[in-house]
Amino acid sequence: MRTFRDRPIKQKLIMTIMLTSGVGLLVSGAGIVTVDAYLFRGHLQRDLSVLVGIMADNSTAAVVFNDPKSAGETLAALRAKTNVVAACIYRSDGTQLASYLRPGAKSACPPATAGAAIQSTGAGLTFSQPIVLQERRIGTLVLLYKAGEVSQRLRLYSATVLAVLLMSSFIAFLLSSRLSAIVATPILKLAHAATSVSSTKDYSVRAEKMSGDELGVLVNAFNEMLAGIQSRDNELRKALLDREDALAEATKARKFLETTLASIGDAVISTDIEGRIAFANPVAQSLLGLKEADLAGKHLDDVFRIVNEFTRAAVESPVAKVLRQGAVVGMANHTILIGRDKAEVPIDDSGAPIRDESGTVYGTVLVFRDVSARRKAEATTRLLAAIVESSDDAIIGHDLNGLFSSWNKGAERIFGYAAEETIGHPTSLIANPESGDEMPGILARIGNGERFPQYQTTRRTKSGKVIDVAITLSPLYDEFGRIVGASKIARDITEQVRAADRLAQANAALQRSNADLARTNDDLERFAFVASHDLQEPLRMITVYSQLLIKAFPGQPSDDTRMFIEYIVGGTKRMRELLSDLLAYSEISGQPEGSTSAVDLNVVLEKVTENLKAYIDETGASITSEPLPVLKAYEAHLSPLFQNLIENAIKYRGTEPPRIHISVQALEDQFQFAVADNGIGIEPEYREKIFVPFKRLHGKDIPGTGIGLAICQRVVERYGGRIWVESEVGRGSTFIFTVPLSRKEH
Amino acid sequence: MEANGRKIQIFVVEDNPGDIQLLRMALDTADLDYALTVVSDGREALDFVQQRGKYAHTSPPDLAILDLNLPKNDGLEILAAMRANGAFQEVPVAVLSSSSSPRDRAGVERFGIGRFIAKPPDLDEYLKIGLMIKELLAEKHSGRN
Repeated sequence: MRTFRDRPIKQKLIMTIMLTSGVGLLVSGAGIVTVDAYLFRGHLQRDLSVLVGIMADNSTAAVVFNDPKSAGETLAALRAKTNVVAACIYRSDGTQLASYLRPGAKSACPPATAGAAIQSTGAGLTFSQPIVLQERRIGTLVLLYKAGEVSQRLRLYSATVLAVLLMSSFIAFLLSSRLSAIVATPILKLAHAATSVSSTKDYSVRAEKMSGDELGVLVNAFNEMLAGIQSRDNELRKALLDREDALAEATKARKFLETTLASIGDAVISTDIEGRIAFANPVAQSLLGLKEADLAGKHLDDVFRIVNEFTRAAVESPVAKVLRQGAVVGMANHTILIGRDKAEVPIDDSGAPIRDESGTVYGTVLVFRDVSARRKAEATTRLLAAIVESSDDAIIGHDLNGLFSSWNKGAERIFGYAAEETIGHPTSLIANPESGDEMPGILARIGNGERFPQYQTTRRTKSGKVIDVAITLSPLYDEFGRIVGASKIARDITEQVRAADRLAQANAALQRSNADLARTNDDLERFAFVASHDLQEPLRMITVYSQLLIKAFPGQPSDDTRMFIEYIVGGTKRMRELLSDLLAYSEISGQPEGSTSAVDLNVVLEKVTENLKAYIDETGASITSEPLPVLKAYEAHLSPLFQNLIENAIKYRGTEPPRIHISVQALEDQFQFAVADNGIGIEPEYREKIFVPFKRLHGKDIPGTGIGLAICQRVVERYGGRIWVESEVGRGSTFIFTVPLSRKEH
Repeated sequence: MEANGRKIQIFVVEDNPGDIQLLRMALDTADLDYALTVVSDGREALDFVQQRGKYAHTSPPDLAILDLNLPKNDGLEILAAMRANGAFQEVPVAVLSSSSSPRDRAGVERFGIGRFIAKPPDLDEYLKIGLMIKELLAEKHSGRN
């Protein structure tokens, strides 16, 4: 809501006038009404008091004579007074003698009071007047006067005042509306003019003068002021244009300088005499990691933090140094700039004072550059040099004239010469005089672009010792790609050559003994085969003809003769068994007929069980098996394996009928089979010996030659597996063997 | 070379006289009326089965008994030569071997003909060879009929 203060002057004037006249009228109206009401009330009371007094006097006789009729007549005279509502005469004892009630009136007479009194009650004014005879009160007259007349009169007055007020307000409004314009209009115009000037900046506007009073003076002053401003404005405009031209010139020059600075690859920062940054080019901003806006006005020391690379100590601000010395300063080496993200950048830098025309220093300029690439290159160079220097091999530089140009520690170690003894000297220094110096020829060919593979040769060391060396030569190029020399890596391989010789000798010896062994093995196998095979023949002859001898003996042979011949037969029989087992054993090592095939072990087991049927029936053995896998192998190998194990399990049974169980586990890369029995078991100390050919634990009471398990072991090992036994004496044995899943050679 | 039209002509390749003696006893035990042509050398045996040299006009025998291990050429070569000579193709063959080694047995069975007999290391067993020879001859006869 707008406050009074902000309302337009015109409204203010109208409101002031109307408020003033309204308040005046209201105050005067109220005064008149109040006075009139007071006066009227006084008159009324006096009139009524007189009336009551008269009536009291007139009623004296009626009271004395206790005549209600005349008393009533007296009271009835009050009919003329329309505002008297009720009147009563009370005897002295308070009883009512007569009464008058205006028709339609609701109220009754109020009770008598002690003395003369005027009481104002809600119903109206009550007048009590004692009726006195000879100074004795004989009764009381009470009159009730309706107050309506007073308030009626007040309402009339109020209405009048209000009407006058409205009337005068209306007239005041009309008058003030007109009159305010006289004062307000010039001010409004002036205000308009001022608004127009301030919004359009058009100083040619003038306010209209409408009167010669104070407002007129004000308008005059305003217009004069505008004229003054206008002329100043024109001057300013002109000056501004001149300045703009000058500025454009300056900007152009500045732009050129800025572009120049921005184009410089180095970081450039200029400061004022206090060291506060005035300018930083893009490279500087980028190295400091701050925008120009963040840099401007900052003290250089706050953003340009530099430390010594090794000591990590803060390095003095170049600005401080420049200002102190007033001269160009280069910064110390190994300075590191610490950027905003703590990133460390090695820098090279220099500072210089900025002087005005009179030579007074008024600022500094700092130029610095990121040298990390150069430092990295230097580090790489150092690293390469260190690698060359620390190499165990001799790394030697040659120029194309056959002179040494570099000589590392490795070369010193190998050849015994120090670098200063060789550099600039010809390669013949270390040549082996017996074989001559091949280097000059080779270097000449390298100079012609030929390439050389690694080769071996001999060299003579400073001490005169001849050593074997392996040499690798590579051409050396200058920056234009021209061959300027060769690098040579020479390794002392004297020991290696000797070791290689020894190895070759050892190898040859090994090969010889291997061949010997193979031959021996072949001979042995052949011997075993021939022995078992061909020895059968004469044995058979001995047996059969011994038998024939008994049969064809002339007459009856004596018991001794028969017994001796039986010994011969028994001995040859035993020998034949041994030979036949030896043959079986030797055949496992030989190459079987045909090739390997997929052998179903379930079928093998079936055949073996069939072969042993008589033995199984005889002993009441039971053979159970898990489903067995199919193996790629020779069936001629697998049958004897299973047959020997099962036969043994039956042969070495306990008192119980043999129970044999065959199980198989597929492990990661092999099958593991187990043939478990409930037989007599094997003492721990014999568990390895039982696999030795012809090794037996039992005498003639249990038949056999002791070749069965040796055959089993030979079969399993031939397939790259292993066989062993786990046993508990008296409880049984479990023969376990493994067969690798895939093997090419069998 | 006692050739008799009625006698069963048996060609024996055997270098061991003991075995020849035993063979005769076995054939006698089986009551066979036979005539033996005995050759103890592999080369000579080859001549016989290829009907060369002095055997050029010898007719094929009723039966051949070959020892596997012979000087010069072994029993298998002779067996092969017999299969190659049409006149000898129908001649039943008993191959006697001094071992029962599977390798020897397989070598013979590869030809798919003849009977492999391991020379038994027992007199009574040896004499049973006569009966086996008799069976072979009977098979030949029934085969022809």
